[in-house]
Amino acid sequence: MADMDEDTIPRSGPPAEDIDLSEETQDFRFLAAVSNEDAKIPKRGEKDFEPHATALQSNTLAASRLAMHNALSFQRAHQPKGYTTATYHPESNKAYALNPKGPLFAKMGHVLSSKDDPLGDDELRGNRLWLLPEEVLYLIERGTLDVRWPADEDDDDQECLPMSLQGAYAMFIGDEESHEGALTFERYSVYSGLKRMGYTVQRAPSWDGPGTPPGPDCYAPLPQQTWQPGLFNISHWWKTLFASQAAGTPEEQSGDQLVQPGLYRSYADIYRRLSLVAWRDPTTAHMLSQQATILADAGLRITYHVWKPGSQTFKKSAPGPPDFRIAVVNGRETSMPSLQQLSSLMDTVPYTPPKEDGQLYQKLRYGYKNVILAVVDQGVVSYLRIADAAFGRERLYERKAKSFNGKRGGRGGGRGGRGRGR
Amino acid sequence: MSQPPAANDHPPAALPSDQSPNPQQPEAASNPPEPTPTSPPNRPPRPKKKKGPNYALLHSSPLPLSTHPLPPFHPSHPLSLLHLCYTYLSHLLSPPSSHPTTLYTGYFSPQTRSVHITDPRTMRALWEMGFFGKGTLSRSEPSWLERESAKVLAERAGEGVGRGGAAEEATRRRREERRLFKLERARVERGRIERQRAVEEGRITVEEAARLGAGDEGKVGGDGEVGGGGREEEQPLLGTGAPAASLTDGGGQLLDPASAQAEPSLAPGNTIAPTSTGPTEPSVNENPTHPPNPAEQHPELNIPNQEHLQLTLEEAFFLSFALGVLEIRPYPSTTTSTTATPDPNLTPTTLLGLFTAHSTFPPTLTPTPTPPIATLPPDSPFLLAYTTYHHFRSLGWVIRPGVKFAVDYLLYNRGPVFSHAEFGVLVLPAYTHPYWSSAAGLEHRRKGNGGRREGKDWWWLHCVNRVQSQVRKTLVLAFVDVPPPYCEVAAGEGEGGQGIAGLLRRYEIREFVVKRWLANRSRD
Repeated sequence: MADMDEDTIPRSGPPAEDIDLSEETQDFRFLAAVSNEDAKIPKRGEKDFEPHATALQSNTLAASRLAMHNALSFQRAHQPKGYTTATYHPESNKAYALNPKGPLFAKMGHVLSSKDDPLGDDELRGNRLWLLPEEVLYLIERGTLDVRWPADEDDDDQECLPMSLQGAYAMFIGDEESHEGALTFERYSVYSGLKRMGYTVQRAPSWDGPGTPPGPDCYAPLPQQTWQPGLFNISHWWKTLFASQAAGTPEEQSGDQLVQPGLYRSYADIYRRLSLVAWRDPTTAHMLSQQATILADAGLRITYHVWKPGSQTFKKSAPGPPDFRIAVVNGRETSMPSLQQLSSLMDTVPYTPPKEDGQLYQKLRYGYKNVILAVVDQGVVSYLRIADAAFGRERLYERKAKSFNGKRGGRGGGRGGRGRGR
Repeated sequence: MSQPPAANDHPPAALPSDQSPNPQQPEAASNPPEPTPTSPPNRPPRPKKKKGPNYALLHSSPLPLSTHPLPPFHPSHPLSLLHLCYTYLSHLLSPPSSHPTTLYTGYFSPQTRSVHITDPRTMRALWEMGFFGKGTLSRSEPSWLERESAKVLAERAGEGVGRGGAAEEATRRRREERRLFKLERARVERGRIERQRAVEEGRITVEEAARLGAGDEGKVGGDGEVGGGGREEEQPLLGTGAPAASLTDGGGQLLDPASAQAEPSLAPGNTIAPTSTGPTEPSVNENPTHPPNPAEQHPELNIPNQEHLQLTLEEAFFLSFALGVLEIRPYPSTTTSTTATPDPNLTPTTLLGLFTAHSTFPPTLTPTPTPPIATLPPDSPFLLAYTTYHHFRSLGWVIRPGVKFAVDYLLYNRGPVFSHAEFGVLVLPAYTHPYWSSAAGLEHRRKGNGGRREGKDWWWLHCVNRVQSQVRKTLVLAFVDVPPPYCEVAAGEGEGGQGIAGLLRRYEIREFVVKRWLANRSRD
């Protein structure tokens, strides 16, 4: 009974909110039954732990393997409907499509203004949608886009040469360095994974550089200076009258002991004397003029801004604040971030405090600032949400004292409390 | 419908249908103490369960100091004013102390790098008031003597003497049930495979196999269902008689008739031991809420207590320096001369040097027994661990070693007996001061790591995070910002004071909460 944690071995596995079905090995046999319909999320099949020489077991295994082979060997073809052609632009390593149709293009691609457009301000500029490398790759993989190499001067009546998938990867990821781009295979894995799940993903300002310096929304709001006209609390006066008589201020402690023997009225007094170690308070970090030059560390920067699939507020022209901020990290080449890296990353994230009256654990877990790290290990992505929690703001001894006072009418605050309707 | 385990040997009946599918509720706030009014009328009445100890009363003080609050004043009871004035004046004239009259004593053992407490009164006091330490022969609470006495008594009487409520007994019983269940399940599985093979080889028909199988499947209803026995392990093992203990806000709904009579002005249901004599002297015999201790009841057994309470270095230093209730001495060696040392107690400054030296292995002992604070390496493992320990203790958390869950510390809201730990803390050093990027600083860091590359890798973090999510805890990374050594600090930089307190004030802690983000589940 003394240690509940050890007694309890969780039998039901990880809690429900931590199960991600996309990580489990699927049972492909359902695909064999359903040919072209949209798939439901597959249920996990029964797991056997050892071969036991029954024909049933080996038949089941063979059927599952066959179903998986059939599913993977399905031939991917372009759909005749929604067929879009784009042309590759070698100088900027992007592709442009003329007036593409389809719901996908509502959230992808940009129409550039006249001074930004590399092809100049001709009559097609308004219809020309420029697609970034990762967008092009995703659309090619998906089968909605057909990218052509740019036409030479001599055969511009013919259809241009189509770009193969290998060619697309070679140009858009392999050739990024010569164009000073920053798309790597890890970033593309994260992009395509999130897009497949339905999110809207856009590049963050710190995609390939320090980005914009943190604005005032990245810091806690300055405290309001309200003038409180002399509300001299009677209970406060009563309490100071009966305050602890123990030895003096905490600053002049003799070296041997923090808490000197004496008369203490409550454990909160003792705990207050124990507070010695400094802790970083995110609510007191305010914007100062010289902090505007903080640069995010090159290793750890926000890469993508992500909006939820059902977001009503997202428009290409005015995206609004993102729902999540993702920083992509290569798990093989970097190690765990140091405090400087994490804190400079946190400095670029807006300040989102938890609700004041929330539950203790929820407030601590939510944190005052948060960011999602996408750790990519050879194509396998793992997302970790890092939140800046401030344990020092939640003093447990005060929470307990508050609950005591609420239940018993207050120690020593009785005289003043009579009129307050307790 | 939560069913706390019985302390006696009542085997719970198999009730697969009306148990909730997820009985484990680690957050104490979500574990309401409800009676069971919904039992069907035709079920036989449950035998009375033996009440467990009243934890909320046993562990009513969070630290081994006593406080003397003034009694509350109720305007409707004029006598309460007299009581208040009397208490106030008596406090003025003869102020009671918060510390015990004789301080607790512990012995520092360099072989185990811990502090040993052998006095039974001290052992009980330190465990009950703050959950310090661990019994060497027990899982956490020092209960070896109880268990030994119970075992001897059971052997003598043969059977039937009530076993103590020690946690190890419950675990042993539960493990035995689980082992039997696993044997049964394996047997059923083997039978099923045999029948399947027989059908395929044509020995028996399918209908016969189904008939044979129907009898077996009823006993073991699928994986994970142990009948009633398995459900026990998933309930938090609260004492059955202390429902209030599950509230996270430290509910003050204790009903203790003994202390209520001492206060004439108290309204009913309004007690939390406001008497002036705080529990500085918890004696096991007189405490009415402690379970009957077989060792006390049968003094003729005369079993010498071979167990002692073991404090980690951080806990010992906290009790000695921050609270001042523990005096630490070196073990009296057999080769000392006859002249007694004048003051065997080690001062906190000496302790700091000693513990810092012993925090690495092999210990880096210095020539002088009391090295000055300025020469201690500021990123020694002991200083990092102690800074974190002190920080969380000073906020009110109960912090205990977390090696069982692959972290450095576990944070409990009130204590291990009340609820599960919600957070697991990892202590990581951070070197942000410009000194640590200089040549001398880099050399210091390299030597400290023993030549290994600094920084942990991502796989380690994912492993720890996976363990935490499996046991339903949240991982907290506590970065401790290490200050430069004293001698490197420019003369003008403020240090926050002298002494140990000054040293500790130079550190800064920043916590980050790490949680797995599931893209599939965050779509809406």
